[in-house]
Amino acid sequence: MKRTQYLLKRLGWSVFTIAFVLVLNFFLFRVLPGDPARAGVHDPRLKQEAVEAIRVRFGLDKPVINCFESLNPVRFGSCDVNPLETQFFIYVRNLFKGDLGISYHTNRPVAEILAERLWNTILLIGLGQILSIFLGVALGIFAAWKARTAIDYGALLTSLLAWSLPTFWLGIILLFWGSAHGLPIAGKATPGTSSWPLMQQWGDVLRHMLMPTLTYTIVYLGEYTLIMRSSLLDVLAEDYILTAKAKGLNTFQILKDHALKNAMLPLVTVIAINLGFTVAGVLQIEAVFSWPGLGGAIYESVLRRDYPILQGAFLLIAVAVILANLIADLTYSYLDPRVQSE
Amino acid sequence: MTTPEYFLEVHELKKYFQAGRPGIFSRRTRRVHAIDGVDLCLERGETIALVGESGCGKSTLALTLMGLEKPTAGRIIFEAEEITHADERTRKALRQRIQMVFQDPYESLNPTQTIGEIVAEPLVVHGLAREGGERQGRVVRALEDAGLKPAADYLHRYPHQLSGGQRQRVVIASALVLEPHLLIADEPVSMLDVSIRAEILNLLAELRRTRQISIIFITHDLGTVGYFADRVAVMYLGRIVEVGRTKEVLKNPQHPYTKALLSVIPVPNPRLRRERVILQGETPNPIDLPGGCRFHPRCPVAEERCQQDEPPRVTAAPLHHAACWLVSGKKP
Amino acid sequence: MTVAEETSPASPRTPSPLLTFWRTFKRNRMALVGLGMLALIVLLAVFAPQVAPYDVTRAVDVTIGDIYQPPSGTHWLGTDDAGKDVLSNFFFGARVSLIVGFFAAFISVVIGGVMGIVAGFYGGRVENILMRFTDIMLVIPDLPLMVVIVALTKPNLINIIFVIGLLGWTTTARIVRSQTLAVKSRKFVLRARAIGAGNGHIILHHILPLVMPLLVVNAILVISLAILNESALSFIGLGDPTALSWGQMLNYAFGRGAMSAGAGWALVVPGLGIVWVVLSLTLLGHGLEQVLNPRLDTHHLMPGRPAVQGEAGAPAVGPEGAPVMLDVQNVSIHYFSDGKSPARAIENVSFRLRAGELMGLVGESGCGKTTLMLALLRLLPAAGQIVNGRVLFGGRDLTALGEAELADVRWKGVSIIFQGAMNALNPVRTVGDQIAEAILCHDPSYRSRRAGRDPRLDRRVAELLDLVGIAKDRKECFPHQYSGGMRQRAMIAMALACNPQVVIADEPTTALDVMIQAQVLELLDNLRRRLGLSIIFVTHDLGVVAEMCDSVLVMYGGVTAEYADVDTIYNSPRHPYTRELLKAFPDLSHPEKRLASIPGYPPRLDSLPPGCRFAPRCPQAFERCRAEQPVLHELNGGHFITCHLIETDRKRRSKDRQTLSF
Repeated sequence: MKRTQYLLKRLGWSVFTIAFVLVLNFFLFRVLPGDPARAGVHDPRLKQEAVEAIRVRFGLDKPVINCFESLNPVRFGSCDVNPLETQFFIYVRNLFKGDLGISYHTNRPVAEILAERLWNTILLIGLGQILSIFLGVALGIFAAWKARTAIDYGALLTSLLAWSLPTFWLGIILLFWGSAHGLPIAGKATPGTSSWPLMQQWGDVLRHMLMPTLTYTIVYLGEYTLIMRSSLLDVLAEDYILTAKAKGLNTFQILKDHALKNAMLPLVTVIAINLGFTVAGVLQIEAVFSWPGLGGAIYESVLRRDYPILQGAFLLIAVAVILANLIADLTYSYLDPRVQSE
Repeated sequence: MTTPEYFLEVHELKKYFQAGRPGIFSRRTRRVHAIDGVDLCLERGETIALVGESGCGKSTLALTLMGLEKPTAGRIIFEAEEITHADERTRKALRQRIQMVFQDPYESLNPTQTIGEIVAEPLVVHGLAREGGERQGRVVRALEDAGLKPAADYLHRYPHQLSGGQRQRVVIASALVLEPHLLIADEPVSMLDVSIRAEILNLLAELRRTRQISIIFITHDLGTVGYFADRVAVMYLGRIVEVGRTKEVLKNPQHPYTKALLSVIPVPNPRLRRERVILQGETPNPIDLPGGCRFHPRCPVAEERCQQDEPPRVTAAPLHHAACWLVSGKKP
Repeated sequence: MTVAEETSPASPRTPSPLLTFWRTFKRNRMALVGLGMLALIVLLAVFAPQVAPYDVTRAVDVTIGDIYQPPSGTHWLGTDDAGKDVLSNFFFGARVSLIVGFFAAFISVVIGGVMGIVAGFYGGRVENILMRFTDIMLVIPDLPLMVVIVALTKPNLINIIFVIGLLGWTTTARIVRSQTLAVKSRKFVLRARAIGAGNGHIILHHILPLVMPLLVVNAILVISLAILNESALSFIGLGDPTALSWGQMLNYAFGRGAMSAGAGWALVVPGLGIVWVVLSLTLLGHGLEQVLNPRLDTHHLMPGRPAVQGEAGAPAVGPEGAPVMLDVQNVSIHYFSDGKSPARAIENVSFRLRAGELMGLVGESGCGKTTLMLALLRLLPAAGQIVNGRVLFGGRDLTALGEAELADVRWKGVSIIFQGAMNALNPVRTVGDQIAEAILCHDPSYRSRRAGRDPRLDRRVAELLDLVGIAKDRKECFPHQYSGGMRQRAMIAMALACNPQVVIADEPTTALDVMIQAQVLELLDNLRRRLGLSIIFVTHDLGVVAEMCDSVLVMYGGVTAEYADVDTIYNSPRHPYTRELLKAFPDLSHPEKRLASIPGYPPRLDSLPPGCRFAPRCPQAFERCRAEQPVLHELNGGHFITCHLIETDRKRRSKDRQTLSF
């Protein structure tokens, strides 16, 4: 009963956050200067007809939003217009149809471009996340268990150093190193391999993934180690660990049955909160290794000032992170019995 | 209507809390009946002990008297002045006359302030004794009255450098510095070792004697009240179930709850092992109050009518009242 | 000033918190190294025009030959894509990176700090709105958002600072809010309200000083994040083209062929700069956190120190005839810490617990009761060591056992009821599960061969809960769903799970109300009679044990003050400490009597008095007590006492006898 309520509450909250991101995304690209469509409208060199054509093409001739007189005392927006005819409504309607606009650069639908790239990003994040969580947790456990020994200090310093590395710079260094050792360092596959047998194709992709994944793993490994270490240290100092020891459980049993679950709880939250930062890391890694993912798309569209792609990619990333957060929240509620009774 | 001989009067005081946060979807609000109709009078210079288990509302009563909680219903009259709904300014002025000592001396001192700063803080807040020398003098006097002599040894120390008993003295000193007329002491010794409790209790008793301060002493332990309380009020689930002169209540308890509380006080003598009335279970949740007498589910001598009707408050002896069907006496 | 303090420890002036802080800070190597590294780079940045070999801010003519020159005598770290000196660029780049980092972090910390404090302090709707907004901003990935905003506006330094600053406050707000909530709920804030202080006063004098340390640590981390974000933005091509930050240097080098030119220096140097600064900040932040919150020091799984066995010979008291269950002989325990002489926590404590006996272990807080009990099962924290004595249980010396043998004795032979049942039970496992675990650990026959649980195990758990008066359907509940009294009962049920012969109850009723305390005591007493348990009951309250104990051991400052059967302790105590403790106890039968208290406080273990540990507080102390430690004397019939007065009494008595015989 309480669990369903909690679930619904979190779900409702995620929907609200997504709605907020939709609105933010809409206004960012209309309030801030820089969009060439609107820049074109204000270009004094253009003829009136050309300006009109641009306005119509990008829907700029429509009123931005309806002012909803009764709700809106400051009368922001245009009144006396059909709400269905406003830019905002059209934007939302298009979103629901999966229409994110047309890329300035390639003239292809943004949704199509991003869909291809989404999987590549998920592949990279997924593999990197699994590796860094696994290694980080293991290293963190080991450091906490051997607290105040050389192992602990070594692990601590290593993780602090790993945390301090700028993702893209580590990428560059590994790229440098990888190219010197004959590893593929750009893109997802060697050109001209599409005719190869499937297994070989996969092997090729894996080889391409090696360096980006390594970068990702090193960068986030440090953070997960630090969190796991301090969280486990806290748990191991708790009275119930002493109880477990007094019960006659051995070190392995205590770690497994009493310490790990409790210590993992903060990690789940951090992983969730981190997803936003993770995306930041992926963006840089993809830029360095020309990995054809969402981050790469953002990097390229910044260089080409391809705003529809930028807008679409931001939206997609934000929604994905929000959903991942929702999943983490639900996992947490499943792991910690105290959540439901709040 | 106001009887001037009383120093503090509390009439039908009630304080309800909402249980849980009102949600967006759920409209129903459940109420915690923390205090549910308390009548209490206090004379100038008198000490009354409020006794009860946790959850009986005694701490809420203290906070409500202090104005730190707003009462739901009822009246509070202090020094012939109605203060039930006093505004901020009156309240601030009142704080000079009503002061409070809290339960946990480890928690009730700010670790970043020196003892001198802590004790001077009330003067700063009220803008009293603005001159440095005068302020210092009052702080020193309060510290020494609280038994921290010489005060100069303590002024520049931090709370963590003091023991539990010393800290509680600092808390008392910072209440004394405003020269209050009424001191509310909320379980001032329950966190301290038995060996140190006595000195704090003696200090309170002495303050009362030398400064004519009225004290409301809140405790869960009937054993300690005999030493300096003039009267005892026993609380159960937001109500006072028995009130009377301390000696009278200790010697001749009327309410079965008081009897039970008295019987479980440890006696430091193995030769005096005696029959104890141990109530089963714990104080019920003050959200769902039992009907009839609210003590009946745990009462060892409950009868049928106890489940139906709420017992009236009867006078068993002069100034000794109890709310129980089994107590014979006349209604006041 | 420091000299005066060190020379006169009795001076009432004590060091200010800042000074104390600096002293601890100095000892933290991590923080010190971080601070040094940071200071160095800040100095280089400030004096960049003076230390840089070339003025890179001025445009100069460049020829193709100047580009990507490897490190040499003229250009120590080589040249970049524009033929400029990398080392000079590095110094000037430090300025940009640090400026962006510091200012952006300043904006973030101010916004986050104000939001956190306002939300935490005022609560209610304000908090709801602010924290909901923070939650939203927290899940929106910030670098992509920064990219979008900077891409849409002009990428100049001011814009970048503001974008990073305005998007980087979320974690600060959350941390500050939860700290504010924690501080606000502390009693001294309520006390400040009670003295009439207004919100402004409380925030300024009570909230802020306690939030500040955390805010400082957080600010340091926010600076490092801001620097990382700036470099990432610059690298993506959204940096200020007129300000050459480290990120910008990397962007130019990476984008303009440093890789293919093999000009590693142009890529490595600026990156190392970022790593240097961020690492220094991280070290500083981490070290500061350790200094301000020194808790992560030891834990229960750290290997303990091996026990040292020593000579035995123990006194015996208690019901005659019953077999001895636990024989503790001359146990001494020291606590070791770096650079200090060991603290003598327990010295030469002996007692003998017989079958079915209930022994009270009484003393004020900090007199070593819990240490002694933990030592019996070799559960001392890593700093503690048994330096002498034996603990005989079932014919074995527990101080000589290995881990595996100990595990066998723990809980099955001797179990412990810990003080705070809330903390002693694992919050994320059900009560029934935790009881079952103890059974499974010691009785393999309960382990089901098939998947699923042995129904006998469930029956046994239900039986144990029933024994302590908890309905069996509550076994699926978690500890937080129990009341305080019930948790203590559950703890007792768990302690009985493996049918131990000895149960140690370490202050099981201290935090409980009188009535619940009476319930728990009655339960323990009943169980002992029904199951024939031997119990050690630890308490600071002499009154609690009077009614149910057989024998009482009074401890003071880690030594046995007096040890005898209960009647002797209460009716003819000989040690001044026991007498004083008894006098401090409120006696309902004489309410008009003034309560006596023991002046002073128990000794600190690291500064024990040279003579008798009780001498400073003892009303009967004489010269010898202050100079010489008394030894344990046995009076008639198992009455033990550590006090010089006994000898004086004895001498007087024997002198009397002598005079009589003459």
